[in-house]
Amino acid sequence: MKVNKVIRREYTEIVRRKSFVISTLLVPVLMVVFLMVPILFGKMEPARQYQVAIVDQTGLMGVELAAALSDTLPDGSRKYVCTTIPADGERFDAEREARLADVRAEKLDIVVAIPASVLDDGKADYITRDERSFNVHERMEEGLTDLVLKQRLAREGLDYGRVKSLTTRVELEMNQVTAAGAVEKKDMLGEYGVVFAFTMILYMALLSWGMTISKSIIEEKGSRVMEVLLSSLTPRDIMVGKLVGVGLAGLTQLLVWALLGLALSSYGAANMMSLLAKVQVPPMVFVYFVIYFVLGFMLYSAIFMTIGAMCATDQDAQHLQGLVTLPMIVPLLTLMLLIQSPNSGLAVGLSLIPLFAPMMMLSRIILLQPPAWQIALSMLLLVGAIAVAVTFAARVFRVGILMYGKPPSMRELMRWYRQAG
Amino acid sequence: MNTHNVLDIRGIVKRYGDFTAVDHVTFAVPRGVIYGLLGPNGAGKSTTIRMALRIMLPDEGTIHVLGEEHGKVNLDRIGYLPEERGLYKKMRVIDSLTFFGEIRGLSRAESRKRSGEWLEKLQLADRAMKNVEDLSKGMQQKVQFAATVLHEPELLILDEPFSGLDPVNAIVLKDIILDYRRRGHTIVFSTHMMEQVEKLCDHICLINKGRVVLEGTLASVKRQYGQNGVYVRMTGDSSFLKSLPEVASAHDHGNEVFLRLREGASATGVLDAARARGEVQRFEVAEPSIHDIFIERVTES
Repeated sequence: MKVNKVIRREYTEIVRRKSFVISTLLVPVLMVVFLMVPILFGKMEPARQYQVAIVDQTGLMGVELAAALSDTLPDGSRKYVCTTIPADGERFDAEREARLADVRAEKLDIVVAIPASVLDDGKADYITRDERSFNVHERMEEGLTDLVLKQRLAREGLDYGRVKSLTTRVELEMNQVTAAGAVEKKDMLGEYGVVFAFTMILYMALLSWGMTISKSIIEEKGSRVMEVLLSSLTPRDIMVGKLVGVGLAGLTQLLVWALLGLALSSYGAANMMSLLAKVQVPPMVFVYFVIYFVLGFMLYSAIFMTIGAMCATDQDAQHLQGLVTLPMIVPLLTLMLLIQSPNSGLAVGLSLIPLFAPMMMLSRIILLQPPAWQIALSMLLLVGAIAVAVTFAARVFRVGILMYGKPPSMRELMRWYRQAG
Repeated sequence: MNTHNVLDIRGIVKRYGDFTAVDHVTFAVPRGVIYGLLGPNGAGKSTTIRMALRIMLPDEGTIHVLGEEHGKVNLDRIGYLPEERGLYKKMRVIDSLTFFGEIRGLSRAESRKRSGEWLEKLQLADRAMKNVEDLSKGMQQKVQFAATVLHEPELLILDEPFSGLDPVNAIVLKDIILDYRRRGHTIVFSTHMMEQVEKLCDHICLINKGRVVLEGTLASVKRQYGQNGVYVRMTGDSSFLKSLPEVASAHDHGNEVFLRLREGASATGVLDAARARGEVQRFEVAEPSIHDIFIERVTES
């Protein structure tokens, strides 16, 4: 079977190319970097000590705040070294100014000035030199709020602990009724992430592999390799060989990504990295992903192959490739709509159209298990569209691979189609 | 049809819209010969070759290859070298050769073995692991020959194999071709370079504007044209020669003029006229070179 030789050549030539190795390894690394960097930066808050002066006009809360700020550093020492300066009445402003001078002189890092009015208007000052850590500011704000609340409640004769326990927030748990009628817990944020990631990966994979095929045909035409191939292979062998060879290379890359992703998410789960652990992808989604990748690849590659056969140069091909990317963008544009109501008539309709189905039906499968008939129908329509596209591509291919002029008009294209029939 | 013919082409036509690239071309290539397909650029040689290889199909006419109807013949018995390049640029030399052998029916192991042998023979063994694009043009051409003959085809079809070849590689190719005929195989090649035809071909077919103008063995073609040709080299202006009554046509080579005399005209009259005008350095009644036959036929049609 000569087609096997073509498949092997296409596959090995892609897989051993540097660009393939780099993109296969680099994409997951970049993904990890994008995910991890914010987490790492959050964790990388410097383990330093803060010299804090609390200028207190209330005569009580300063001491309590100092006591509340009992956070410790990894080495066991206190994170906030607090000095409480009781300053009643007029002395408050003077003390505040004096501490500010210390901040300017870098003897102090932070000044917290609590006026007596804090109990009524809930306002106090946090003054610092160059400290931008929101965590520190937030910590102080929280501590002080708690104290003020306690005081106000005491003033009203209410018990702080009791009020606190009575005013806990309600957690509205996210659930969803599945197609099977069962009710499932859902993590919306994680799901959006998964849908977005899968759609993007599918989009990039379909586009880049389609372009690869289109480019390789143009190259073979230009170097006259195509004539040598045609003198010993049928156009069908060449076409099928390319589709399968390049498709397998694409699957190989996705497999590597999946394995790396799996390793990463289990590492994330093991290391309590909440963001990564949260992203739970059911195994069935991977199965559907592969199915829709293969179907989408066949459809779009047949189209890109037609373009390659029609054009003699990459420049000619670019315009036509631009046209093909339009339907590929539709699923990206309607992604938010789809996420908000994955079962709306529009979403269902769009996800059945073969050009959109790979990305949109996959998204819907991740968001909610759509009825089986919709999945089956989308696949059936895809297979039908593939049959049409491949037949058309094969005919244009026969005639087009020996054309070295400018790309044909629509009318000429139809003549090629009939000519090859 | 004659089963001795390796390639038998009858009345093939290829049209592109209003333009007829190949117009009822008929010729036959006997087994074991070197067959030259001649013609100016755009004469339809490449199109004819592509149809002979079934890369494209003729609109009319029939083609028999290796005694079988076109389409039924095993393409592995044919070797084809396209007009230019025809190699994967980014593939390793050895992988590229192996692949071309494989798609012509060799097993992977056999193809790899032969590729190695050919690279050895062409003194390219040290480039086997290099990418094709890293080789010089001359080396790429050698790799191309190897790719064409790797599977020992009975019929070798070469499209303009000598164009753009440096003299050293031209000899390499010539040796491959001669060696091929020695082993009883058949070679068809197209060219517009006449010296090669004169030196190599047993048979020729001259195509112009899609039509066969002349066909037969080299000897018979020359005989047919050899009766009344005269080469004249002389001092002074020789342009008057072409207006002599004996002369049917003339082709000025620069230092030398080739004259074709009219039927029954005598060369002596021409010699006398030339001597009257200057010193004659060469005067030879000779069979014309293929070059002159070619020019004559192409310009008159």
